[in-house]
Amino acid sequence: MLDYDPFDYALHDDPYATYRRLRDEAPVFHNRKFDFWALSRYDDCLAAVRNFGVFSSAQGTTLEPIKAEVPTLINADPPIHTKMRHLIAGMFTPAKVAVLEESVRELARELLAPHRDSGRIDIITDFAAKLPMAIICRLLGFPKADEDMLRGLTDAVVHRDEGVFEMPDEGMHASYALYGYFAEDMKRRAGAAPRDDIIATLMAAEAAGDLTHEEVLGYIFILSIAGNETTTKLIGNMIYQLHRHPDQLAILRAEPDLLPSAIEETMRFDGPTQMMARTTTRDVDLHGRTIPAGAKVALLFTCANRDDRKYDRAEIYDVRRNPRDHLGFGGGLHACLGAALARLEARVAMEELLAMMGRFAVDESALQRMHSPQVRGFTHVPVEFGGAA
Amino acid sequence: MPKITYVQQDGVAVTADALPLMTLMETALMGGVDGIVGTCGGICSCATCHVWVDGEWADRLAPPGAEEADMIEGLAHRRPESRLGCQVPVNEALDGLVVRVPPAE
Repeated sequence: MLDYDPFDYALHDDPYATYRRLRDEAPVFHNRKFDFWALSRYDDCLAAVRNFGVFSSAQGTTLEPIKAEVPTLINADPPIHTKMRHLIAGMFTPAKVAVLEESVRELARELLAPHRDSGRIDIITDFAAKLPMAIICRLLGFPKADEDMLRGLTDAVVHRDEGVFEMPDEGMHASYALYGYFAEDMKRRAGAAPRDDIIATLMAAEAAGDLTHEEVLGYIFILSIAGNETTTKLIGNMIYQLHRHPDQLAILRAEPDLLPSAIEETMRFDGPTQMMARTTTRDVDLHGRTIPAGAKVALLFTCANRDDRKYDRAEIYDVRRNPRDHLGFGGGLHACLGAALARLEARVAMEELLAMMGRFAVDESALQRMHSPQVRGFTHVPVEFGGAA
Repeated sequence: MPKITYVQQDGVAVTADALPLMTLMETALMGGVDGIVGTCGGICSCATCHVWVDGEWADRLAPPGAEEADMIEGLAHRRPESRLGCQVPVNEALDGLVVRVPPAE
């Protein structure tokens, strides 16, 4: 029987066969056990992210209930969302994040240096897990010494225990610890010279009465989570896909200008954000079924990205494809605010990795996966490298 | 709330109410305007919110910034009156604005 259960660890190993059946056999799928619905075709997911009046984010974007009840950017509809997003959206345009390239490259080289001569590296723990958090700490003005601690907490927030339809206690404790850390940071800033960064902008909005204190904390929470996990997993997934597709790696080596296209293709083919949820505000009739008002609906972005109604040879990894309209970053008003930063980090990370490694092979027997209903990627990607590519 | 009218490629004119602080792109999504996708959510990196703003209205808008101009430069259907909807904030002075939706790229 066809089932889609994002809390089942077995699905995390390879969701794509299930996804194909959902698109073909049950484009409006109902999971009875957890009582949620799932949309899997590209056109349906795109229509849903654009139609926020019917597919609302205000009840959260996870299937399971939210435990830390603080208003955040991703869990809001217009006009609240509009107000929050416009506060800092201008800081995340491609031109604005482009100035970070040198910092990203410096950090990447610093992280790779100890491994350069060893011929071995764990792409995740030695590199990809550290780079995005270092950048987000720099953007938010947190001390370098706190990076590892903050990353541990944000990892705990997204982890889900097998078969359990809610955030584990560890995740809740980690959420509170993060909120406590952010509140302390704001207190420290209150007595010091003003800085020119994201948190300063949010604090100014609080002072002007545009955001509550809780909303500022929630905002920083979302930025610290979103900036960390997903970019880490993108880099890991991309190394894995290039390892599995040596022909595509050879094309990329021969034509390095294809790297941005290859990153888009990785986002489409095996992007870290598999799914985001919405809640219906009225009955929705689609493909002969009725999703009732007030229902949770999973939008399966990475499944939609492999819809052959949308893309030719959709299940083929093709670094020349450059699919700029994939749903790997979502779409509509909630499309990933940090997409330009993620693209920059992924490009620099891949440039530095490919330059350092030459020929490389992933030790598939030692791969380990994270478990989350929404984020797909590895916790360990051990690689051996050396020799001319 | 300012009303904005979008003339789609099929000739149908869709009028949408802007909420406070919204841009032309966000208002179009409010109204379900065909042809304005907003893939990137307004970070000026996809150009799927391209609109044509005719002369007299165009003069009432702040001119495009460098980033917007660069994105428009790459569009096949660009015209002197091209704008990216995500970079144009809506305010009361734009009540009644009519824009046209160009063909898909």
